[in-house]
Amino acid sequence: MQGAPKIPILEVDGLAISYKTRRGDVPAVRDVSFEIMRSEAHSIVGESGCGKSTVAFGIVNFLGRNGKIVGGRILFQGRDLVGRSQEELRKLRGDRIAMVYQDPMQALNPSMRLGDQMAEVLIVHRKMKKAAAEERCLQMLERVYMADPASVMRRYPHQISGGQQQRVVIAMALLNDPALLIMDEPTTALDVTVEAAVLDLIAELQQEFATAIMYISHNLGVVARVSQRVGVMYAGELVERSTVEEVYLHPHHPYTQGLIRCVPRLGADKSSSYLHPIRGRVPSPANLPPGCVFEPRCDYARPECCSRRPPMREVSPGHWVRCFFAEEVAQQARLPQDALVEALAAARATPADRPILRVEGARTYYEVPSKRLIGGGKQQVKAVDDVSLEVFPGETFGIVGESGCGKTTLVRTIIGLERPTDGAFEFMGFDIRTPLAKRDLALIRNLQMVFQNPDSTLNPSFSVGAQIARPLRRFKVVPKSEVRQEVIRLLNLMKLGEAYYDRLPQQLSGGEKQRVGIARAIAGRPELVLCDEPVSALDVSVQAAVLNLLMDIQKQLGTTLVFIAHDLSVVRFLCDRIAVMYLGQIAEIGSAEAIYAPPYHPYTEALLSAVPIPDPRVEQKHVRLSGTVPSALDPPSGCRFHTRCPRMLGPICQTQAPPRQDDGNGHYIYCHIPLEELRKVEMVVTWGHKDAETR
Amino acid sequence: MLVKDYMTRHPLMAEPTMSIVEAQRYMGENHIRHLPVVGDGKRLLGLVTRQTLLVDPARLGSLDIWDITRYLSGLRVTDVMVKAEHVVSITPDTTVEEAARIMVEHKVGCLPVLDDGAVVGIITEMDLLRLLMEMMATREHGVRVTIRMPNVRGELARLVSAIAAQGWGIPACGGLVNPRNPQQWDAVVKIHDATREEVVAALSRVEGQQIIDVREV
Repeated sequence: MQGAPKIPILEVDGLAISYKTRRGDVPAVRDVSFEIMRSEAHSIVGESGCGKSTVAFGIVNFLGRNGKIVGGRILFQGRDLVGRSQEELRKLRGDRIAMVYQDPMQALNPSMRLGDQMAEVLIVHRKMKKAAAEERCLQMLERVYMADPASVMRRYPHQISGGQQQRVVIAMALLNDPALLIMDEPTTALDVTVEAAVLDLIAELQQEFATAIMYISHNLGVVARVSQRVGVMYAGELVERSTVEEVYLHPHHPYTQGLIRCVPRLGADKSSSYLHPIRGRVPSPANLPPGCVFEPRCDYARPECCSRRPPMREVSPGHWVRCFFAEEVAQQARLPQDALVEALAAARATPADRPILRVEGARTYYEVPSKRLIGGGKQQVKAVDDVSLEVFPGETFGIVGESGCGKTTLVRTIIGLERPTDGAFEFMGFDIRTPLAKRDLALIRNLQMVFQNPDSTLNPSFSVGAQIARPLRRFKVVPKSEVRQEVIRLLNLMKLGEAYYDRLPQQLSGGEKQRVGIARAIAGRPELVLCDEPVSALDVSVQAAVLNLLMDIQKQLGTTLVFIAHDLSVVRFLCDRIAVMYLGQIAEIGSAEAIYAPPYHPYTEALLSAVPIPDPRVEQKHVRLSGTVPSALDPPSGCRFHTRCPRMLGPICQTQAPPRQDDGNGHYIYCHIPLEELRKVEMVVTWGHKDAETR
Repeated sequence: MLVKDYMTRHPLMAEPTMSIVEAQRYMGENHIRHLPVVGDGKRLLGLVTRQTLLVDPARLGSLDIWDITRYLSGLRVTDVMVKAEHVVSITPDTTVEEAARIMVEHKVGCLPVLDDGAVVGIITEMDLLRLLMEMMATREHGVRVTIRMPNVRGELARLVSAIAAQGWGIPACGGLVNPRNPQQWDAVVKIHDATREEVVAALSRVEGQQIIDVREV
């Protein structure tokens, strides 16, 4: 009888993988063991550089020329994959293992129509006839809820959105009905609402196709949503492995605890909690500590941790931990609250009367040539269309929304990188509609920006010190003789230290680069700093450190921050007031508490229900938006959200722009649904306490 | 109740070049009795069962001891398997009772499930026995009662309404024509929330129907 005794689909036992380099073999993965049962989803989490993807590539023997499996076994359906030739592997594994990568564009051929690419899988592997193969592809696209699959089949990859691309890739992976599906960060590049829909899809397909899934992610919330069991990886080793509930509610390894603590939870704000970043960073596999790999960053480390490597041991049935003191660690799960929390609460901005930044009726349009050959005037992309907001001194103002909502365009217009089409922009009482080149130096000095991608905003050929010194000289913040001192002071403020003065950007990690970016922005002691997704490209532990840093700076210097993000837990954690943007317009604006509690704008409600929360006890309402943000070239009439709104009232939403409804305390909702109705909506996120009672 | 819902998805499979020694070990280690042999694209080429792996003494009789070793170690599954054209198979959308009929008719213990020639699953006697077990809600506690009634339309409805009148639940119900008397029909019903005595009392009042077996399980 097949499957009567539980046979794992995949069993990895003591796997070790090394990369050959000029300096000798680098052990990237050591002693990793786990198994995935039939139709089970097993996740591997960890920061970047922990060897998660290496394990995945090892399973499909895709390690490149210098990678090699040096030890252990990989049993796929009971047969060892290690040490076999490519041809043997191909036969053995055949098309029974499929893989989905982070970037769907890499898996799709940009020069082939999607239908042809998908059909090719069946024509090559299964030797199906073209017509039959296409028919099957069409069915599979329907299965992954692709809207209008027939037309998608005729399109090229660049003609569909990222979420749709990922659906196509998932559909392609499932065409061969694989027994094991390896997904390497499949939703990391997607918007939160799209991500939620793709995660739902994965869970559903897993049931239907009885496929075992190995899910690799750095996002603890995503992992809690899709998988039954989880392994936490650190510096090439599995440090903890158990069911999702066990790992999240009773973490036994200091690293797991650290990971959970450094994620801002939806519902937490900066006055009530402080993120606990994990100090230091992941050691390079070429230079591992002699004892426990986590020892240099561990708060519980003792002398024996430095000398002996802890073995993986079972602390409770099915719960494996690699730590000598797991039981003690689990008991001290919560760190004593920092004194900082109170300090931060006290430092919380009290809104002043005069706004530092006032934007009224802002419009930024881009002109694009008409697609028609003859006639047809220029068309306009209304990236920002009638946005009004006020930011008060000392506060943190958040702007959230999916990508393509005009968040970035708005701040780029404020700082002068885009020319506004219409509207009033006032900063400290000055008109700032003038382009950047004509702005007064003092104005530029007081209005600075931190960009999303630190890689592309730092000049690769200048040292860190020179880059931070530049604004100091230009704005004459300090006398010339003191510039170096000032740069070092800033570096210290960024917790980087003097040693970084002469380093080049390529010698820095992502988090360090972003710190330099922040240091450069605050060098001129600006009144207002615009932060465009400053942490979305960073690992969670680094992200926590950067967020804390921003808060410390704000506390010390009293700088006003405008903070753009798509991650609602981060925004909630950091911001005093929040604006939710949709398609160039503001859907809801108000204090952080007001945004995260009813009455909600239907769009806010959907965004909140899409946030992955790393806590299995949390109950979240299930609201999913269909489709993607419509094109700003031709925005829907009336309320722009009506095409995707789950609570649409009727024709009024399609014809009339929604009125601004005042909920008091500066909380405004732009919606046709009366506030009384919206107030009746229950909380999207409820913190389940049933678990607390039973234990 | 279709085959696709009860079959084993992603069965263990062999490639034609696998040696029978390895096949035997593979089946033994994983406790399986049927091993589909597939080529590229999971196309069914044949089926290996424990019977096909039995050595035919007649073929070995003429070989000396050294030849036997070489003969056995050189055997591949493709040499011993039942070839695909002789393997009885079904599609995922077949009903389970049809699968059972085919297995009884051909006297085979397993059916590879093919979708467009590719193996998507396997259904065995064990799966059908498990299905019988589940259909009778074997793992749930309750009163299991067998009622013999005339093979006439409306009789089952009378029985069910008698049970419903008491407010009891029916987790499982099955029936068939009495094999010895086609005029009669035997129904097996499992009843929740009732004791044996209550069931006997309530059902003996149904006219023309007779309790032939009752037990608490």
